Amino acid sequence: MSAADWVIVVLRPLVPVLGAAMAVPVLTWAERRGAGLIQDRPGPNRVGFFGWRAFGLGQPLADALKFFFKEDITPDNADAFLYTLAPWIVMFSALVGFAVIPYGPPIPIAGRIVPLVGADVPIGALFIFAMTGLSVYGIVLAGWSSNNKYSLMGGFRSAAQVISYELAMTTAAAGVFLSSSSLRLTRVVEAQHASFLRWNVVPQFFGFVVFTIAAFAETNRVPFDLAEADAELVGGYHTEYSAFKFGAFFMAEYIAMTVGSAFIVTMYFGGWSLPFFHPTGLFGGLVSVAVFAAKTAFFLLVFIWVRWTLPRFRYDQLMRLGWKVLLPLAFANLLWTALLVRSGVL
Amino acid sequence: MNAARLIFDLAGAVAFVFAAVMVVHRNPIKSLLAIVVSFFALAAGFVLLSAPFLAAIQVIVYAGAILVLFLFVTMLLNLQTEEETADRRPFQKLFALVGIVALAAILLSDVRRSGEITGTSGQPPATGAVEPLARALFSQAALPFEAVSVLLLASLTGAYVLMRRERSGSAAP
Repeated sequence: MSAADWVIVVLRPLVPVLGAAMAVPVLTWAERRGAGLIQDRPGPNRVGFFGWRAFGLGQPLADALKFFFKEDITPDNADAFLYTLAPWIVMFSALVGFAVIPYGPPIPIAGRIVPLVGADVPIGALFIFAMTGLSVYGIVLAGWSSNNKYSLMGGFRSAAQVISYELAMTTAAAGVFLSSSSLRLTRVVEAQHASFLRWNVVPQFFGFVVFTIAAFAETNRVPFDLAEADAELVGGYHTEYSAFKFGAFFMAEYIAMTVGSAFIVTMYFGGWSLPFFHPTGLFGGLVSVAVFAAKTAFFLLVFIWVRWTLPRFRYDQLMRLGWKVLLPLAFANLLWTALLVRSGVL
Repeated sequence: MNAARLIFDLAGAVAFVFAAVMVVHRNPIKSLLAIVVSFFALAAGFVLLSAPFLAAIQVIVYAGAILVLFLFVTMLLNLQTEEETADRRPFQKLFALVGIVALAAILLSDVRRSGEITGTSGQPPATGAVEPLARALFSQAALPFEAVSVLLLASLTGAYVLMRRERSGSAAP
């Protein structure tokens, strides 16, 4: 392998992962401005650059500086090793998910055809499920190692919630794998190329609904944020955390949101492709990346929109929804998809 | 020795060491985490044996679901770190050591005798082997597969019945 090959191999997964990380400051700003819009108040609109307010876009920078300069506290009776490890488990598992999501078509660079996906592994989708499964360890361990009853309660809730919703999510996803006859995410995107009717959201609408709701639960976002539930548990699993350790949890939430949105787009909305619009070459490839980014941004807005619209579930409601509504619905969707595939419609 | 072989051996060593940590660590939570690390190392081994599907299942099912439940229960029971108590069975540790050595010897001799490892068909396994696995699982192994699911259902029902009896018994007086 020449030097150019090595650069490409390193950049392929690095670009989307860094892209997701870079989106975090903009997302925190969008979240709070969105909250302002929905609740009829301004939101952060003062911190700008050199006298220019810039709609408050300087706020994320100020927040980041705050994370760096606040005192980093480890409680006396906390398990220091796990207490330090936990936020980085959450951060790691959120970041690596992007490495297998295709973010563009194969494009020609320096005489090579480079597929725009970090690693086109044959089990792509399962890799993301495995990594979200890992993130629950971070939350549970944060709760346990803090040695605080509120933190521990948050950790418990998260463990039970993630296990319950992971089942519904994977069962819904099985429908997509059935219709594209592969676990490979590039193949899932290809299968949706032809027309809007082939987008998985059309034949598998209920699968999409289950998958999206479960994605909200997996990222611990409202209405499923029982793990932090600030009204009951102070801050849930991150009650004791401060400074950059808290910042890591905070960033991981937004990165997980981005990965979740990109995953929904890839599974149900054709990924980077648009029917009847197949630009080619290097420029065309970049247009497709922009299409992918736009679709992902839409679902990020949905995440924000839902957060400031719905109240939090009660714990028994959460469990009832997961086991008695979403799981049967996901199985019905799987059966329906199997019928469609069997009868040759898909 | 190429890079893949080196990583494979490393993953094997990590799996082995953390399995040992699981046994000897006195804090139940840390013990559990050690076995999680061991499972991840096993998954890495599966990837290098070109069985990425098994690796994913290993992580999703064992590390991601079953051990989270273990962790959940361990935390709920609030088990404390074991205290070193006076050894009432002094020969136990010695016998355990003998047992470990004997088992290791049997395993090692078996591995040495088996020579080069090939699949059942005598050919190297295909990469990304989801399909062959699914075929085998739902044709040759369909009956044992279903039997296991019935067994799981039976144990689930059993646990439920035991729990119910205890509750009605305590409520009676």
